[in-house]
Amino acid sequence: MVQLVGSLRKELADSLSACRVLVVGAGGIGCELLKNLVLTGFKNIEVIDLDIIDVSNLNRQFLFQKKHVGKSKAQVAKESVLQFCPTANITAYHDSIMNPEYNVEFFRNFMLVMNALDNRAARNHVNRMCLAADIPLIESGTAGYLGQVTVIKKGLTECYECQPKPTQKTFPGCTIRNTPSEPIHCIVWAKYLFNQLFGEEDADQEVSPDTADPELSWNPADTEARATASDQDGDIKRVSTKDWARSTGYDAVKLFNKDCLSESLFKDDIQYLLTMDKLWKKRKAPLPLDWLEIQKLGKILEVTGTGLKDQQVLGVAGYSQLFSRSVETLRSMLADKGDGAELVWDKDDPPAMDFVTAAANLRMHIFSMNMKSRFDIKSMAGNIIPAIATTNAVIAGLIVLEALKILSGDVEQCRTIFLNKQPNPRKKLLVPCALDPPSANCYVCASKPEVTVKLNVHNTLVLALQDKILKEKFGMVAPDVQIEDGKGTILISSEEGETEANNSKFLSDFGIRHGSRLQVDDFLQDYTLLVNVIHCEDLEKDVEFEVVGDAPDKAPTPPSAQEDKNVANGNKDSAEPSTSSKAPAEQDDVLIVDSDEEEPSSSTMDVRMESGGHKRKLHDAETGEASAKRQRLDQPLAADEEDDDIIALD
Amino acid sequence: MIEKEDSIISEEEAAQYDRQIRLWGLDAQKRLRGSRVLLVGLRGLGAEVAKNLILAGVKGLTMLDHELVTEESCRAQFLIPVNNQGQNRAQASLERAQYLNPMVEVKADTDRVETKPDEFFLQFEAVCLTGCSRDLMVRVDQLCFQHNIKLFCGDVFGYHGYMFSDLGQEHNYVEEKPKVVKPKTEESNDGPEAKKTKIDPNETTMIKKTACFCSLKLALEVDWTNEKAKSSLKHTPHFSTTQSIVFSPFVPLFVPTVLLKFRTDKGRDPHPESFEADAMLLRQIRDDVLEAMGLSSDLLPHDFVSYCFSEMAPVCAVVGGVLGQEVVKALSQRDAPHKNFFFFDGMKGSGVVDYFGPK
Repeated sequence: MVQLVGSLRKELADSLSACRVLVVGAGGIGCELLKNLVLTGFKNIEVIDLDIIDVSNLNRQFLFQKKHVGKSKAQVAKESVLQFCPTANITAYHDSIMNPEYNVEFFRNFMLVMNALDNRAARNHVNRMCLAADIPLIESGTAGYLGQVTVIKKGLTECYECQPKPTQKTFPGCTIRNTPSEPIHCIVWAKYLFNQLFGEEDADQEVSPDTADPELSWNPADTEARATASDQDGDIKRVSTKDWARSTGYDAVKLFNKDCLSESLFKDDIQYLLTMDKLWKKRKAPLPLDWLEIQKLGKILEVTGTGLKDQQVLGVAGYSQLFSRSVETLRSMLADKGDGAELVWDKDDPPAMDFVTAAANLRMHIFSMNMKSRFDIKSMAGNIIPAIATTNAVIAGLIVLEALKILSGDVEQCRTIFLNKQPNPRKKLLVPCALDPPSANCYVCASKPEVTVKLNVHNTLVLALQDKILKEKFGMVAPDVQIEDGKGTILISSEEGETEANNSKFLSDFGIRHGSRLQVDDFLQDYTLLVNVIHCEDLEKDVEFEVVGDAPDKAPTPPSAQEDKNVANGNKDSAEPSTSSKAPAEQDDVLIVDSDEEEPSSSTMDVRMESGGHKRKLHDAETGEASAKRQRLDQPLAADEEDDDIIALD
Repeated sequence: MIEKEDSIISEEEAAQYDRQIRLWGLDAQKRLRGSRVLLVGLRGLGAEVAKNLILAGVKGLTMLDHELVTEESCRAQFLIPVNNQGQNRAQASLERAQYLNPMVEVKADTDRVETKPDEFFLQFEAVCLTGCSRDLMVRVDQLCFQHNIKLFCGDVFGYHGYMFSDLGQEHNYVEEKPKVVKPKTEESNDGPEAKKTKIDPNETTMIKKTACFCSLKLALEVDWTNEKAKSSLKHTPHFSTTQSIVFSPFVPLFVPTVLLKFRTDKGRDPHPESFEADAMLLRQIRDDVLEAMGLSSDLLPHDFVSYCFSEMAPVCAVVGGVLGQEVVKALSQRDAPHKNFFFFDGMKGSGVVDYFGPK
């Protein structure tokens, strides 16, 4: 005789009340998920989120109200939930899940972990923690109208990192500095400029003309001549932009009244680029701005109309005034902060956003591109992914349904489920697909994970190995590195200060050469990775290392090759909160967010597509129009195609 | 009529709705802002739809429900604070619903929907019915159809749920498509390949389209045993007759049909407290419906009945999400609407859109 508690059989309802679950993230998916969990009967829930509430969250993170802006998401979410379910036992942590406090033991407290994250780094980390603790993990993501849920169980399914995921798109330095052809190049340039003038200096973020442009270099004599010429020009060309700005002492008179900075960037530098005439043989040459002439054009047109103020596109005069104004504001902000201070770019900081809007637009104008509104530039510069309540509601509902299967002991019933914008040719809006088994050579969950990395041992710093390769690329939080040289030489220690002296040395200084092996441990993640080193002297310009076996992450993959639909795993590779004042310099390589997601263009691919080549062709995962054209269906599919669709055969 | 208010969007709205304006555009947001919606039924599904529409920023939402809060509803619904037993459900939901978005006019109406005169419905651009009997839904749909009001219905029965929409004879909408522009290519004979000048790849264009819907009455008057239905079963030659039934297009309609019949017969939905008796009636109705559909009764799990009780919160979330988004699309006249049913099976995680009605 079946006993029901609500919709659930009693045994299941009882186990829900007893078990403990962890929700990582209290944002768009997190709010919906917490609500679903308590209404379904889960009693013991822990939720963690490092972020605070922002007004732009309120269109979907429904547990928050305007009065909560600035407060901890996890904390307020808990309080809101208790309003309609006071008997729920909720623990809220305003903290980062990557904090070493949340070790394997911590994870072992839970029957189930559910991610509601927006960035790759945290997902990688939780993936490893759940593997180490052998706890099932439900992973999910949304972007616009699209969403996805999947289940990760050690030994049974792929882990989150089994399929290599391309990192965010990067642009070559010469494109940014010399030959921008798309608005995004100009926006990246503007953000670099911000950092050069006001923020943390970064050698990879130079904005002045690049005399080492490979396009120029096929005639070596020319390049040398040019290099000499620039030496002779002295000042602006040789010295980095930041040093130059500093050398003027950020003198308001120099920078502002004499428009020195603007002249330099938008006229002098452009004139310099013009001398590199090889660049302009096949391209439209840039037009330097006559700064003083523009100033004479007078007032900016008044903003009129029924659109958003931010959606207006001003003229050149308008943006030049905006540039001058924002420079002055930022200069005084910096001065107020005192000696040695730095500003961090933040899309929600008006002068910072004004600065990038103005600088990017002026550069776009110079390079004959249509200027863009602040609204559009903010999307691109700030990596904003549009988001609505309903997509998150659906995905969070699916998460709980998967959770119930796991808790009933029916993990073979679990699926990856894709939410489309339009039904596929088989009428499916929600497409369940079977889970894949673990990848045999996954560099995370294989029994003895190993990778091979190509780099130049003579000019790769130990610090770069730690930060760019082990942390950023391989998702470790606190790596310990030993060289397999028979002596067990410790190259990097996760203990603070122990190996700091090594950071500024090159790998070759420690005898690392072609064929060397490094044993890398992250004890927090209970993860060991063997790194094989291949010495390489001819990596592409701007490329510091390459992981053998990775899909190249520069070229956008053509739509036809991408048939699966892993949804954006977040607009950030790093785990800083979106509202933190310590938000990292956003990735240089910004994603273009296209509001229309039905037809994949190369830009939306970056948002939606993850793996370079998913193993199975997931027919079901195709969306709307694109797939409808491929399969004109007036009748049901032939039987063997149905085989791909496991669900229909259940 | 949805009037596109030509007033400026305030700073407050722009800030709050930023992430959705970036998805569906300012025009759509303005249309939403000019729309009034009637939502009938504030159980689990109703609460989800209310939340989604209020967050989306409609002009007004009227929540209509004559039922009282019971102990069970506390567990089922997140808008009703505890200790509100005995209060009217719409009334009890009002405060928390309003808090979701102070810019929306949220109202509670405690009347029975059956007692409302025709004129009542005319003040709304869209009507959404949950928990209503089949006859009532058909009647309200007729009325809405006549007055060009968008009509939506939905229900959740345990692990299963469905939604239906009738956007009228001619529903006009736009779709935004990227402009396809070919990059200029030029021959490059000397030196390294020159980069090509590209035109901004982010320009889009709006395409106007129309969709036609039929009434609920016609949609439900499906003749199960007609030739067309039979012939669609024959298109799966690799399977025996019994197995091919699984591909019948009518399978998703099965659960809603049975449960709506139960609702009509008993005046309520199956209740866990009367599990035994309700399960028996459900099986009876199941047999009748299967017979009428020409399907064999041993194809469905014997215990299917135990998955139809009450409203599962996550299923309400899924169906409420899809339904909410359909209302948003219809009011904003943007993006192709699902025509005309959406069925969700929470056991399998499958959600399908299908059309039932005259071709």
